[in-house]
Amino acid sequence: MFSSPAAGHPDGSGRYVRIGVRLVLVVLLGLLIVRLYQLQVRRHESFAAQADANRLRTIEIPAPRGLVFDRNGELLARNRPSYQLAIVPEELPDDDLDTEADEEYEAILQILESLGPNLDRNAVLDMQRNLHRSLGWLDYRRILVDNKVPFSVFEIPYREFVDLLIQIGVVDATAVESAPIEEEAAAASMVSLPDLNQPLPIEGLAILIQSLAQTRQQGNSSEPFPILTGLSREAAFTISEQSFRYPGSRILDVSVREYVYGELASHILGFMGPIPSSLAEDYRQRGYSPEERIGLSGVEAEYQEILRGTPGQRTIEADIFGRVGRTIDEVAPQPGQDIILTVDIQLQRVMYKALQEMLTVRDAISGVAIAVDPRSGQLLGMVSLPSFDNNIFSEGLGETYTRIIEDERKPLINYAIGGLYPPGSTFKIVTASAGMAEGVITPRTVIVDEGPIYLPNKFFPDDPSQAQEFVSWNHHQDFNHGPLTLREAIAVSNDIYFYYVGGGYPQTFLGLTQEELAQWARVFGYGSATGIDLPGEISFSVPDDQWKRVNWASSWVQGDSYNMAIGQGYLLATPLQVLQSLVPIANGGMLYEPQVALQITDPSTGRTQEFEPRPIRDVGLDRVILDTIRLGMRDAVNSVEGTATRGRIEGVIVAGKTGTAEFCEYDPVLEDCRRDEEGDLPTHASYLAFAPFNNPEIAVMVFVYDGGEGSTAAVPVGTAILDAWFTIKGQGSLETGTG
Amino acid sequence: MLFTSASRTTGVSRRGLALVHFDWWLLAACLALAIFGVAMIFSATRGVVDPVIQNRWTAQIVFLVIGVVAFFVGALLDYRLLRLAGWPGYCFLLGVLVLVELFGTQQNLAVRWLSVGNTAVQPTEAGKFVLIVVIAWYLSRFYSEEKRLSVLFLALGALVPPLLLVYRQPDLGMVVTMLFIIGAMILISGVTAAHFLILSSLALAVLFLAYGTLQDYMLDRINMFLAPDDNREAAFNVTQALISVGNGGWFGRGWLEGTQSQLFYLRVRHTDFIFSVVAEEFGFVGSCALLLVFGFLLWRLVRTMELAEDAFGRLLVGGVAALILFQMFVNVGMNIRLMPVTGMTLPLVSSGGSSLVSTMFAIGLTQSVNLRRSVRVDVF
Repeated sequence: MFSSPAAGHPDGSGRYVRIGVRLVLVVLLGLLIVRLYQLQVRRHESFAAQADANRLRTIEIPAPRGLVFDRNGELLARNRPSYQLAIVPEELPDDDLDTEADEEYEAILQILESLGPNLDRNAVLDMQRNLHRSLGWLDYRRILVDNKVPFSVFEIPYREFVDLLIQIGVVDATAVESAPIEEEAAAASMVSLPDLNQPLPIEGLAILIQSLAQTRQQGNSSEPFPILTGLSREAAFTISEQSFRYPGSRILDVSVREYVYGELASHILGFMGPIPSSLAEDYRQRGYSPEERIGLSGVEAEYQEILRGTPGQRTIEADIFGRVGRTIDEVAPQPGQDIILTVDIQLQRVMYKALQEMLTVRDAISGVAIAVDPRSGQLLGMVSLPSFDNNIFSEGLGETYTRIIEDERKPLINYAIGGLYPPGSTFKIVTASAGMAEGVITPRTVIVDEGPIYLPNKFFPDDPSQAQEFVSWNHHQDFNHGPLTLREAIAVSNDIYFYYVGGGYPQTFLGLTQEELAQWARVFGYGSATGIDLPGEISFSVPDDQWKRVNWASSWVQGDSYNMAIGQGYLLATPLQVLQSLVPIANGGMLYEPQVALQITDPSTGRTQEFEPRPIRDVGLDRVILDTIRLGMRDAVNSVEGTATRGRIEGVIVAGKTGTAEFCEYDPVLEDCRRDEEGDLPTHASYLAFAPFNNPEIAVMVFVYDGGEGSTAAVPVGTAILDAWFTIKGQGSLETGTG
Repeated sequence: MLFTSASRTTGVSRRGLALVHFDWWLLAACLALAIFGVAMIFSATRGVVDPVIQNRWTAQIVFLVIGVVAFFVGALLDYRLLRLAGWPGYCFLLGVLVLVELFGTQQNLAVRWLSVGNTAVQPTEAGKFVLIVVIAWYLSRFYSEEKRLSVLFLALGALVPPLLLVYRQPDLGMVVTMLFIIGAMILISGVTAAHFLILSSLALAVLFLAYGTLQDYMLDRINMFLAPDDNREAAFNVTQALISVGNGGWFGRGWLEGTQSQLFYLRVRHTDFIFSVVAEEFGFVGSCALLLVFGFLLWRLVRTMELAEDAFGRLLVGGVAALILFQMFVNVGMNIRLMPVTGMTLPLVSSGGSSLVSTMFAIGLTQSVNLRRSVRVDVF
């Protein structure tokens, strides 16, 4: 075939050319094909994955958050649309290096200017707070300094600065505490922080936004990040219409939380906010996106997972410019579940108003009112004052936010579960129970109040002048109660009786041992958290001999038992804990964990799930013992000498117990506790009550910080609450007194 | 059969046109590649906003029609007349390159273009073909018969000035292309083993010398090829090309369905990286088929070369085949990271009018050689 003489060369070199050329052709083509096989067949999977990584983007579709209702189906928390101005880093013009101006910066400046009158002081403050949070205080300050933007600073001591970091969740408190103590110099030095309450010039905002856009550019630059939240609908539409003139701007339509009753129920419902940076990693692992807002307190935090639902996912295809094309795959979000609370918002409103009025009258700093159903431990209402409007956390962190954060009364704290106070006389129901249960007294035991009693000094027992004096409240008013049964002692809240029961008296009366008293306190729930389904609850150990040795390096003395017997001394409890201890008395012996959530409803399937009452234990007291205490409490309200006679309401028999607990508020000037002109310590006023007497369906606790007498400061509030409850229910049935 | 003996002994003028020799298979292969090229250009430019680029595929059809005409013009043109273009061709090549050196316009850091009227002309594109003609003429005239080394050195010496000028533009890819053509044609003309050894050691020496004077961007490209991860920005195109090729798998994602190309992750899709588009959309099977068509086309050219009845014709066809083989291999090679990125297009397939028309003309010219041999019954 190639033998044609014309093809060959005279000297015969044609043959190797012929073979050589074909060999080269085959080898080169073979080389390419082998390489193609390697790439396209052997390594196909890896390259296909890379191609997918190139083009596929996953967008999270947030699930509508579950709604919150009160026990009567009244809507408490819902979602509403909100508008945010966001920046899409990728769509910002690049800085043209040939021109003097920085095009990217100019574009951001124009976006800000497009806000026009919407860029008021509040918006600027809001914006700089968001930027401060996204950039971190260090970068925030550095960027402003580097760009010579004037900004105001405030100086705080290093120690306070660390506390501040802990408070805003930047630093974990335990990490700081476990860290070695800082150098003296560092601890004493001052830290200057950007003052977020002074608005930055618009150029400063633009510089900060540009820096943030540039850091975002390295990751997903097509994803918008919000710079201003809470735009009005009109503003959002105006900007949106003009957005073609401002490349890089985008109006986002998000859903935010709205609390219908605002500050009325803010401590129960809580509020939402960005994930605290100390928990960012934890939440990321649980599948949260960094921008997601989570419940930070109250029911929102406690039932975060239930309310959140499951976000959906949309897989979309994007080209190299980040332009979104087809949707490849979509998983619909599963809406969060609705929660019905045990709370009655109408009662809550009355509680709020009554307590608020009393605080105003008494000029008191704070106060608490709680109502539960003693049959189940269900919470009917809970107010902690001062309160705050939790709506302001939904969007915007303007001046209201600052006011709340900087309020010295710390309105964010729910004092019902987050405040520890001496329970005062309301603890006497525990002392009484213990005394009868341990056989120290019987319902018929009579103890005579003949005036103050004196405990001899341990080291000088024969020197009366060294003896310690213990008085009952009535001694201040120069009268003695005389002989008293337990029931009467409770009704008039005599202290002498309980001194005897709690600590005995040398040679004459054998009282409870400190172990017994402490043990019975624990049985009634003191010393451990009540277990309510709300975050932020604290508790305090029940003091006993061992506790005192550890914390005070001295042994328990009889006087300690005396103080504890009337709810003073070392004993501290939250208002909710005190109310919890009343529940077994009211219901016949069962201690319950207070309960806030009643029911969960899945809005898509309609399936419901009930929360059962959570009994802790039966306190194991005879009917006779409980009845004695109950009767004592009924007399406190209904007898002439009772301490809570203002607690009576029309048509319902109320049983109650007042408390007036002295407390020590350290005064740095006096270097001692604050006292009034007569040298008396200030007192917290409290009131425990349940009704109706025979078949209790509501138990309340009212606490007024520094409110004075329980009978005057706390009882009227409790009465208003009970009265409202029975009026609302329209079933104020007349009960016949049993004498 | 009629002309066989006459052609061997007598001069050129005796031979006529033997249409029976026309290689329809070769034309079919060319058309197949070019039409497939149009389809791929359509796929590669779809969705691009720039209307000029978006209309590339229709322009390519127009050029294909012109190319077919050029093919037949080339085939009907008596290639023997090109022998006359030996000296003038060399002078023209040198002259044009000097003009570029003096008056050329700059694009992308390289001075390769001459402004003729409103359009920029890149003289080295045509230069490749002129070079083939010049070398074919020189080797057939002075070397084929006697094999004197001095003749080879004289030729290489004469080629140094034009190569230096191209190198100064700078256009390394073109220099390498020209060197490959020169080398291939010398080999086809039949060198002795001794000459081969001397020439290849000389070539190695020049390679080392030249490396020192390489321009930065050339070094970048070569270094990028050797260690692609060092410079991610520059390696982006190659990496994306590799992903495209690998994404194709056995059968590809289908025409217009390649995600890498349709979503613009692959750059310069319609020219340098069109093979990646083919590989992604038609897979291993499709890209092998394309290579086999190229193989077939080259095989037919080799056949034509061997059937040629004079040294000039043989070298002419050999030069064209070498050029097409080299461009094809380098282009596909850079798509699959076997070769550095040189900006060389895939002959007949890539978008580009002048390249398509000139390639068609050159292949047509090989048919001129085919048509002018004596009529014989060939076994395929």
